[in-house]
Amino acid sequence: MADGSNSTIHVPIERLAGRARVQPIEIPSIDPPVERTPAALPELDPAWQARLQAELAAFEADERARLGLPEPSHFKDAVHDRFTAAQRAYTTILVSGLTIAHDALVCAGLRGLGYRVQALDCPDYASLANGKEFGNRGQCNPTYFTVGNLVKFLSKLRDGGMDTRQIIDGYIFLTAGACGPCRFGSYVTEYRKALRDAGFDGFRVALFQQKGGLDQAGEGEVGLVMNGPFFVRILTALMVGDALNALMYRIRPYEIEAGATDRAVALCRADLVQVLETPGRLKELPLALVRVRRRLAAVAVDRTRVKPKVGIIGEFWAMTTEGDGNYRMPAFLESEGAEVDVQLVTAWLLYNLWEVRWDTRRRMGLEGHDGGLWGLKGKGAPGRKIWAMHAADKVLRAVFQSIAHTMGLHGYTLPDMEELARVVQGLYHEEVRGGEGHMEVAKLLLNTRHRKVNLTLSVKPFGCMPSSGVSDGVQTVVQAIHPDALYLPVETTGDGAVNVYSRVQMMLYKARKQAEAEVKAQLDRHGVSGDRARAVIARHPWLGRTLYKAPHGAACAAADLIAQAGKWANWADRVGVWIAAPW
Amino acid sequence: MPSQPAATVTHPAVFADRTAPVAIGLDVGSTTVKAVVVDPATEQVLWHDYARHHTRQPETVLEFLGRIAAAFPSVEWGRSRVFATGSGAGPIAGPLGARFVQEVNAVALAVEALHPDVRAVVELGGQDAKILIFRENEANGDKQTWASMNDKCASGTGATIDKCFVKAGVPADVAATIRFDPGRLHHVAAKCGVFAETDIVNLVKTGVPGDEILNSLADAIVLQNLSVLTRGNTLLPKILLLGGPHTFLPFLVEAWRLRIPELWAERGVAVPDLPVDQLIFVPDRAELYAAMGAVRYGLHEPGQQGLYRGTDALADYAQQGRKARLAGKAGPPLAHGAGEVARFADRYQVHRFVPPDLPPGSVVRGALGLDGGSTSSKCALVAADGSVLWKEYQLSQGNPIADCKQMLARMREGASRRGWILDIVGFGVTGYAGPVLDQALCADAHVVETVAHMQSAVGTFGRDVDVICDIGGQDIKVLFLKNGDVDHFKLSNQCSAGNGMLLQAMADQFGVPVTEYAQAAFQAELSPEFSYGCAVFLDADRVNFQKEGYAKEEMLAGLALVLPKNVWQYVVQVPRMAELGRTFVLQGGTQHNLAAVKAQVDYICARVPGAVVHVHPHPGEAGAIGAALEVWRRFRRTGETRWVGLDAAIDVAYTSRTDEGTRCHFCPNLCSRTFIDTRTPGGTTARYIAGFSCEKGTVEDEVALKALTRERARLRKAYPNLVEWEAKALFSSRQPPRPMPAAGSPVVVDEVHVDGLLREHRRTVARGFERSDGLAVERRRRFRVGIPRVLNIWSIAPFLRGYLEAAGVERQNVVFSEPTSEEMWAKGGKYGSIDPCFPSKVVQAHIHHLLFDVHPERALDAIWLPAITHVPSPLTGTMDHASCPIVQGAADVARAAFTKERDWFADKGLALVAGAMTFTERFLLKDQLWNAWGDHLGLTRDEHRFACDQAWSALDEFQAERERKGRELLEWAEREDRVVVLLLARPYHSDPGLHHNIPEEFQALGYPVLSSGAIPRDRAWLSRYFRADLTAGLPDVFNINDVWPENYSANSAFKVWCAKFAARHPNVAVLDLSSFKCGHDAPVYATIDKILAATHTPASSLHDLDANKPGGSLGIRVRTYAYTLDRQRERLQDLAHRKRELEERIEAKRAEIAHRLAAERAAVAVAPPVAAPPPAAVGARVALQHLWQRAARLVADRTRPPGG
Repeated sequence: MADGSNSTIHVPIERLAGRARVQPIEIPSIDPPVERTPAALPELDPAWQARLQAELAAFEADERARLGLPEPSHFKDAVHDRFTAAQRAYTTILVSGLTIAHDALVCAGLRGLGYRVQALDCPDYASLANGKEFGNRGQCNPTYFTVGNLVKFLSKLRDGGMDTRQIIDGYIFLTAGACGPCRFGSYVTEYRKALRDAGFDGFRVALFQQKGGLDQAGEGEVGLVMNGPFFVRILTALMVGDALNALMYRIRPYEIEAGATDRAVALCRADLVQVLETPGRLKELPLALVRVRRRLAAVAVDRTRVKPKVGIIGEFWAMTTEGDGNYRMPAFLESEGAEVDVQLVTAWLLYNLWEVRWDTRRRMGLEGHDGGLWGLKGKGAPGRKIWAMHAADKVLRAVFQSIAHTMGLHGYTLPDMEELARVVQGLYHEEVRGGEGHMEVAKLLLNTRHRKVNLTLSVKPFGCMPSSGVSDGVQTVVQAIHPDALYLPVETTGDGAVNVYSRVQMMLYKARKQAEAEVKAQLDRHGVSGDRARAVIARHPWLGRTLYKAPHGAACAAADLIAQAGKWANWADRVGVWIAAPW
Repeated sequence: MPSQPAATVTHPAVFADRTAPVAIGLDVGSTTVKAVVVDPATEQVLWHDYARHHTRQPETVLEFLGRIAAAFPSVEWGRSRVFATGSGAGPIAGPLGARFVQEVNAVALAVEALHPDVRAVVELGGQDAKILIFRENEANGDKQTWASMNDKCASGTGATIDKCFVKAGVPADVAATIRFDPGRLHHVAAKCGVFAETDIVNLVKTGVPGDEILNSLADAIVLQNLSVLTRGNTLLPKILLLGGPHTFLPFLVEAWRLRIPELWAERGVAVPDLPVDQLIFVPDRAELYAAMGAVRYGLHEPGQQGLYRGTDALADYAQQGRKARLAGKAGPPLAHGAGEVARFADRYQVHRFVPPDLPPGSVVRGALGLDGGSTSSKCALVAADGSVLWKEYQLSQGNPIADCKQMLARMREGASRRGWILDIVGFGVTGYAGPVLDQALCADAHVVETVAHMQSAVGTFGRDVDVICDIGGQDIKVLFLKNGDVDHFKLSNQCSAGNGMLLQAMADQFGVPVTEYAQAAFQAELSPEFSYGCAVFLDADRVNFQKEGYAKEEMLAGLALVLPKNVWQYVVQVPRMAELGRTFVLQGGTQHNLAAVKAQVDYICARVPGAVVHVHPHPGEAGAIGAALEVWRRFRRTGETRWVGLDAAIDVAYTSRTDEGTRCHFCPNLCSRTFIDTRTPGGTTARYIAGFSCEKGTVEDEVALKALTRERARLRKAYPNLVEWEAKALFSSRQPPRPMPAAGSPVVVDEVHVDGLLREHRRTVARGFERSDGLAVERRRRFRVGIPRVLNIWSIAPFLRGYLEAAGVERQNVVFSEPTSEEMWAKGGKYGSIDPCFPSKVVQAHIHHLLFDVHPERALDAIWLPAITHVPSPLTGTMDHASCPIVQGAADVARAAFTKERDWFADKGLALVAGAMTFTERFLLKDQLWNAWGDHLGLTRDEHRFACDQAWSALDEFQAERERKGRELLEWAEREDRVVVLLLARPYHSDPGLHHNIPEEFQALGYPVLSSGAIPRDRAWLSRYFRADLTAGLPDVFNINDVWPENYSANSAFKVWCAKFAARHPNVAVLDLSSFKCGHDAPVYATIDKILAATHTPASSLHDLDANKPGGSLGIRVRTYAYTLDRQRERLQDLAHRKRELEERIEAKRAEIAHRLAAERAAVAVAPPVAAPPPAAVGARVALQHLWQRAARLVADRTRPPGG
C-alpha cells in the first residue's frame, strides 16, 4: 500500500519498490563464517599475555575513539531496596494501600516493634494525576493511584524544603508484592520509573515477597526483621481492622443520629492504635476490643429501615480503598440508602493459603516432580505442606472469630475457600490465576444462592485483566443461570464519576425493590403488619440492639429482623404468657 | 448537535383554566434538556419541549419552568410535583425539590407502560449507549429488566456521530435524507469514537462519498453494539430504538433493521410474522421517554416526594451557588487578567497573512505545496527564499480533489485580481490526501508529514530547533531534531488522536465559534481539571463537570489546559522536558487558538529553564510550506516538473464510483472499493483506488493480479518475512510422527500412589507397552479436532498437532481455524460479553468459525481450547513464565459466550476440550493432557506418554527450524550491512489479522522481517552480543533482571529480552507492536524504550492496535520510519568500514606488541636474573608508554598540514 492507509494508486508495487530505492537481492546461501587464520604470533606466558592484553585494550580504546566506534552503553534498571538495621533509627517506613483503619493499625503494630512508621493518606485524584504524569501509559488505576500517592507525598516533603538526598536516605516505602499474573504484579517497575522521573532516583521500595522475606540485599543485619512477633502484630492489626470495618458498615446505615458511628469508630481506632503501638501493651488488646464493643453498642440504630444490601466484590485494591480510587463507592452507596457488605483482608489471606494447598495437592501423585517455581521438586514432603496450610486456615479463622466476637461482630462467616472453588467448577478453571481468580464468580454465585446481598457490585479498574477481562465474561453465565441475580460490574478510571453513579443508582433501584419484596414476604409469612413488627421490636430491646444480628434468611437486614420479630409476635400470641398485648 | 434539530416544536396549547396540580418530568442530559408536563390522574402528556443547553443546564431548566408556568397560569403549584432524570439532573433536583430518578429506570418504566410487547430497547444518547432487555422470569412470571450501558471505550453515541458528520462534511438536513445501502460499506472501527474518527478521516481523504461514509459508520455502530453492548444476549422482537440519532437518522434505523434479523436467522429466533419496521421501530416522541418515565416512576412513589418548591433556589444556585461550590476543587484559570492576555497575545498571536505587495504584471515564481489534513486542506505558494506568496485554507468539504480545485481556483483568482503572472515551478503534496492528489495531479513531491513539518520549521527558524510540536485536527506529531534533521519522533496513537478536533467540537457544543474559543477561555476565573488521555474520556469528563456546574468558559479553559498534558505526558511520555532541548516550535492549525498556545507555552516554560517557544507564522500551513520547499529542492536539482499545471489542476474532472463493478473479488473479503478517475483537460487520466483491505484490492483484473502476485513472490524471496513464514509453518503438519511402539514393547514407568494421609508412594515398573484395541485406534484415526488459531496457541501449536498426530489422529483431521480476518470478526464477533484486548476478544470469532463454517463442512468431534497458564520460555532467573490472566481465562470466557443462551457445542454435537495446560511443568502437563484427552481418544497411559514425548519433539523441531532461518537472516544482514526489522510483539501478533500486515509494509520497502521467536537461542552464538554483560556479571544471556526484575509475564519478559538483543545487534531495527488494552505490555513500554534508546537502535512503536488497521497514522509512521531505516543502513555501511579498519589495526597492533614483548622476554631471559616487575609496576610502565605514545601522536596531529 502506498501510505499504509486503505488506499493506493493504480500500480503500487513498482512505485513502492522505486520509492524505497533498493535493488532486490538474493540472500546467498549461508556459508560458515570465514575463519581468518591469524598470522603466527610468538607464544607468551600468562604474565606477558596480560601485558599484551592491557596494551591492546588501551590501543583499542584509542582507536575506537578515533574512528567514532565507542563501546555501546546499555540501559540498566537499578533496584533500590536496601534497608539495614543500622538505618532503622533514622528511617521512616511508609505504609499505604489498604483501608484507613488497616493502615493505621498496621502502622501502630510496627511502631510497637520499635520502627518509625508513617501511613500515607488515602490516595486521591491528585495521586492519580501524579501517577499518570510519571507512570507508563496503559497502567491500571491501582498502580496510578498508589504510585502517584507516594510521589505526591515525597514531592510535598521536597516542596516543604527537605533535601532530596535526605528524603531518599530517611524514608523507605513498604508494600506487599503483588501476585504476579496481572499487570499489578509489575507495579514495582512503575514505582521505580515514577520515582526516577519525579527526581527521587534511588528512593527505596521494599516488598514483602513470596520468597518469605523482605528483599534487603546488603551488608549487616536486615532492617525489617520478619519474625514471629512481626507477623503476629501485622496479622492482628489486619484482623482487628477487618472486624472494625465490618462493624462500621453494619451499623452506620441504620444509625439514628447521623455521624454517631463515625465518631465511635474514630474513638475505637485511636484506642486500638494506642494499644498496638505501645510496646508491652499487646496483652491489653482483648480489653481494648471489649471497649470497642461497648462504644459501638452505644450507637443507637433502627434496623427496621428497609435498605438494600450491596455486596462489593471485584479487584482487591479497587474494592478495598475508601477514596477516589473507587469514587468513594461505599460512602456513595450509603448516601443512596444502601447497606454495604465489604470484603475482608482476612478472606484474601485465606485465599492465599488455599492457593498453596490446592497447587500442592494438584501436583501430588504425578509421575514425577517438576522443578521451577510451582513444581514440588526439592521442596520436602508435599503432604506436610498441605496439612500445614489446613492448620493455618483453621487457626486464622479461629483467631478472627475470637476477635470479631469480642468486638461484637456476630454472625459473620468468613468464606469457605473449598466451597468457593467447588461452586465454580465447570465455569472457571481453578488453575487460572490473577487477581481474585475464580473467587469473583464464586462470590456472585454464593451471594445469589444464599441470598447474601440484594445487589452484587463488582468494582474494578478500567481494563482490569482478571476482573473485566475474565470474571465479567463468566458472570454472564451466572446471570443466565440465576436471572434474578442483580449484578453490576463498574470500571473505575478516576474520571466520569457521574456515569458510574448513574449505573449504580439504576441497579440500586432494583435492589431496593427486591429488599422491599423481602420485607413484605416476611410480613406475609408471619402474618404481621409492619407496625406490629416494629412494636415487638420496641417491646423487646434486645431485638433492636446495635450489635444484634438476626438469623440470616434474607439479604436485607430489615427482613431478617422483621422475620425474627414476626416469630416472636406469633409465639407471644400462642403462648400468651408474660407478654401483655399492648399491640 | 447536527444529528438533532435545535428544538422540537413546543406544544402550542395554553392551559389557562387548569387548576389541578400537574407533574413535571425533566430530563437533563449531556447536551439537551427535555421536559414534559403530565396530568397525574390520566398520565397524559399535556405539554412538552426540547432544547440544547450549551452547558447552561440550570438556566435552560429555569427557562423551561418559566414557559411551563406561562402555559399553566392557574395551576396549584404547591401540590404539583417534579421528577428529574438524566446525567445533569443531580444538582438541579435539590433546589427544585424534585425527586431524582435514574434515567435507565425512567426509560424502562416508560417503555413498559407504552409498549408492553417490547422485549428490548436500544437507546443512543449524547454520551451513553444503553440496551435494555425485558425478560420474563419463567418461575414466577415477573418481568425483569436487564440493562447494559457502554463502557468507557465506546462509540456509537451521539457525540461521536456529530463529530463524524463534521469530518464527512455532511450537513444535518442532508444526513436525514440518506438511505442505508449495505452494498457500499467501508471499514470503520466503532469500538471507540476516536478510532471511528480516524477511519473516517481516511475515507474522506480517499474520496469516498459522504453518504457511504455515514452508512459505514452506522453499520459499524450497529455491529459494535450488537457485539459488545448486548453482552452476547440476543435482542428479541419487538425492539424499540430511542435517542436522538435514532430519531433523526433513518439510515441508522435501517442498519439495525438489516443486522438484527440476520442475527435472528443465525440463532434460530422465532420471529412474529410482521414487517421488520414493526418489529424494530422508533416511537413518536422518542426523545421524551426518559422525562415521561421519570414522571411515571415518581407518581408511583409513596408520599409527597418531589413537591415543587418553585424556581428561586435554582435561580440562586445558577447565579451564586455553583461558583461557591466549585471554588475549593477547581484548577487555576488560563490567564490572570486582561493585561496578561494582552501581553501574551502581543508576543504569540499569529498575525493575519498579507500577501506581498507586488505591482500588477509581476511574475510571481513559486512552488506550490498542498497539505490534505484530517479536517482541513491547506495550500501555500512559496517563493525560492521560503517566503509565503499566497496561501489558502479550507475545512474539508468531503473530497480532497474538490478541496484542491477550490483552493487553487481561489488562488488563481486572487493572483489575477492583483494582476500577477504566476510561474509555478512544481507541486508537492503531504497529508492524508497525499496519495490521491499525487496520482491525480502528478505531484513532483509526495512528502511524509513529519518531514514536511521539519523542513518548514527549520526553513523558518533555522537549524537550532530542538523540538517541533504539530497539533492538527486528528494527529499530534512531535519531532525531535538534531542538526536540523529529524532524529526521532512521536505520534499520537489511536487513543490520543483527535485532540485538535475535540477543541473545535467542544466549542461547537457550547455554541462558541472556534475563532472565539480563546476569548471565551481567557474570561474564566477557574477551570475544571480534566483527566488527560483519550478524547472520548475527556468528553466523558466534560459531562461530569457540566453536572458539577462549570460554565462553558471554564470548560474551554480546562480543555486548553489539558492539551499540553496530552502532548507531553501521554504522547511524548518524557516527564523531564528539559532533556529535549530549549527551542520549541509549535505548529498545526490548533496554534491559531491562543488559549491552546498559552497553555502550551506556560507548560513548557514551567519545565524547561530558558525555553524559547516559537509559534510558526503560518501554523496551519506549515506542512504545505514544507511540501513546497521540497519541490524547490528537487526543482533546483533537476529543473523539471511533472505536475499537470495550475489550469489543468483546477479544471481536472473526476468521478467517484462505488458499486458492484468496483467491488474486489480477489479474496473473500469482497471489499467495497471506490474508484476515483481523474481526467485533466490535456487528456491525461488516472485512476485512484480506495477502500480495500489488502493489496489484492489495488488491481482491477486477473492479469494485473498475476503481475502483482509475481511481484509479491519476488519480494518474498528477496526480503524474507519470517513472521509470515511462521504464521503458516506453526500450524502445518511436519514430519510424519514416529510410529507408536508395538504392544508388549518393553517400557519402564514410574507408578505413584497417594494415601489417605497425603503421602506419596512411588515405584518403578518395567513391563510391556500397552496399546488400545483396534476399535479405539480406528476411532482416533477418524476423530476430528478443531483448534482455534488464537493467543498462546501461537506459541505451542506444533505441540498440539504433534500430540494428536502421535496419538493416531489423521493429520488432515487436526484443523486449525483460519487466520483472523475482518470477515471472520464481523461474523463471529457478536457472541462476546466483555471488551478486552482484540487478540483475546477474537477468540469468540474463531470458535464461531469452527462451529459454523468448519463443522458444517465436515463434522468436528471436538474443539480444543486449552487454558494455557504458562508458556515455554528460554529466559532464566525470572519470577515466572506466566500467561496473562486474560489469555489464561479466554477459554472460560469463550465457553460462557457459547453456552449462555444456548449450548452451541451440544447443539452441534461436539465436545469442548478446555483443560489447563502448564508448559513449564512437564509432568503436570502430561497429567493435564491425560485429563483432557484420555477418554475422548480412548488412549492407554502408555500411548498418552508416547504422544506427549512426540509433541515435545514436534515443538523442538519447529523451534530449531525457526532459529535456523533467523540465524541465516541475521548473519546475511551482518555480512551485507543490511537492516533487518525485528517484530517485537507477542507471539500471537504473527496473526495477520492482528498485525494488520504491517510487517509486509516493511518487506515491500525492502527490509526483511525477523520474528522474535526466530532469534537464535544458541548461547555460544548469543554470547558474541552479550559479551560485555557476561563480563560485567550477568549470569546468563537469557537473564533480564538487570533491566526488568518484575518479570512474571513470559511474553512481556521475552519482549524485553528481544529488545536487549536488538540493542546489541547492530543490524536489527525494531517494530514494536502492542494491542489496545494490553495490560502486560504497558509496564514494559518505558523499559523497552530505554533499552533501545540507550544504543540508538532504530525503533518504531505502534501501540493500541485493535480490530481496525490504523491506516492514516500508520502511513506516516511507515514512511518516516523508512526514512530512518535508510539512514541506518548508510550508517551501518559506514560503521562496517570503520570496524574493518579497527579490526585490521588491532590485529596489526597485536602482532607488533607480541613481537616486541617476545623480544623483551628473550632479553630478560639472557640478562642477569632480576626480580620480575610487580604487576602494578608493569601496569604503570604500560600506562606511561601509552601516555607517551598519545602525546607524540597529538603533537604529530597538530603539526600536520590541513588535509595532509
